[in-house]
Amino acid sequence: MTEFAGWHMPVWFESIIKEHLAVRNRVGIFDVTHMGRFIISGVDSTHLLQYITVNNVEKLKVGRLHYSLICNEEGGIKDDIMLLRLEEERFLLICNASNREKIENWLISKSKDYKVSIENVSDEVPMFAIQGPLAEETLQKIVDVNLRKLKHWRLVKTKILDVEVLISRSGYTGEDGFEITLWKIPLKEAEKAVKIWKEILKAGSEFGIAECGLGARDTLRLEAGLVLYGNDIDEETTPLEARLEWVVKFNKGEFIGKDALLKQLNEGVKRLRVGLKMIDRGIPRPHYDIYVDEEKIGYITSGTFSPLLKIGIGMGYVKANYAEEGREVKVDIRGRKAKAQIVNWPFYDTAVYGRRRKRESK
Amino acid sequence: MIQQYTVGGESVKVNDYEIREDLYYTKEHEWAKIEGEVVRIGITDYAQKQLRDIVYVELPEVGKKVKYMETIGTVESVKAVSEVYSPVSGEVIEVNSELENSPELVNQDPYGQGWIAVIKPDNLNEDIKKLLTAEKYAELIKEELEKEH
Repeated sequence: MTEFAGWHMPVWFESIIKEHLAVRNRVGIFDVTHMGRFIISGVDSTHLLQYITVNNVEKLKVGRLHYSLICNEEGGIKDDIMLLRLEEERFLLICNASNREKIENWLISKSKDYKVSIENVSDEVPMFAIQGPLAEETLQKIVDVNLRKLKHWRLVKTKILDVEVLISRSGYTGEDGFEITLWKIPLKEAEKAVKIWKEILKAGSEFGIAECGLGARDTLRLEAGLVLYGNDIDEETTPLEARLEWVVKFNKGEFIGKDALLKQLNEGVKRLRVGLKMIDRGIPRPHYDIYVDEEKIGYITSGTFSPLLKIGIGMGYVKANYAEEGREVKVDIRGRKAKAQIVNWPFYDTAVYGRRRKRESK
Repeated sequence: MIQQYTVGGESVKVNDYEIREDLYYTKEHEWAKIEGEVVRIGITDYAQKQLRDIVYVELPEVGKKVKYMETIGTVESVKAVSEVYSPVSGEVIEVNSELENSPELVNQDPYGQGWIAVIKPDNLNEDIKKLLTAEKYAELIKEELEKEH
């Protein structure tokens, strides 16, 4: 067990590698109740969210969700979030556990001139993620709605064991899957959530479902090339440097950080996030330096052993002129300069793994 | 709850963690087995279970001279890298090169096929006094477990 943002959570149940491979090949379940959750409602909710997030909230239809970022005035990333549009004027904002207080304060301070209500429901809504190519088959056994019709980035309200749940087709593993919000179960009634967890396990047992810890959550998101707040992005990093510019909708009107980001867009970035695949043995870990010849060109922000590729993989930042796919670099692994290659993410073969895989194997 | 019980004739278990009666231990969770003139070393069952999923083992070179509790190699799991310290001073005379291709042996058999190196000690009588007996090591594991809870 480990401490994570004040939560006592398992890094693994049995083995990171086994849990990881269960998600890539079959199905796994994660407890993500530690995430920060806010309900933002009221006539000005769209305007407020349009102003404090970088994606285009006006284009987000009811019943859908999108990935977005909250930036500071300098364009630095305060957090990366999921925004779910529950109703025309009612949103669920999901932020990182470690940023919960910061985001709550930011939302309150920025909403003074808006007619909105901000409710922190983090401690009342347990949340599970079911991920993997057999996630749909697993969950379909215990819900009435037709999940085949629920496309990626969409959500639906339904019930599991008489508990109201919100199911979105989304995740943090690169695989197909769902995130389930159990509506309003205070932590002191956690046994209701445990019952649902067990119900999902039962449904998934014929598919070999694995209970997954924080360790597999990290290795899975890394293989998919997804960023982790605090490692790969922070207030000193902009979406342009992090190669998250696809999230930023410059033509949507005013939003916090826009001017700084436009300036950076025009001037160009000095560093860029890249993926790295080890050629030599070794695992790149956060803070290890990246070299070309004798020149230090950057550093690692996340790294792991890839259970799928069975080599070290990572991501980090390098000087922008070096950020080209295929370039060979060296990672200083505790004094040993080990060869690595700059690659694009995801790290796996998308024809075989991930949510866009060819499905004939079923 | 922390429980200690005997397994077979030569091992005890503290909860899930096996401790062999015939070995000496360090506080950093290495074991040392005296085999006549030489000492075989490895990491304990507790250490491998804390690391889990061991994917690389970096071995010392044969001929390397090491001091008591000096770094002799590293064991790396998916999650973390951990140094291995030598329980005795001396010269590395053999390394377990099997681990280069099968690092999981450390997980599967930490006191057997997962051994790391053999050292020809040069100050064994003094070093041994600083090492923990199985009984003392069991106490240490209990303390570690109490800290966790």
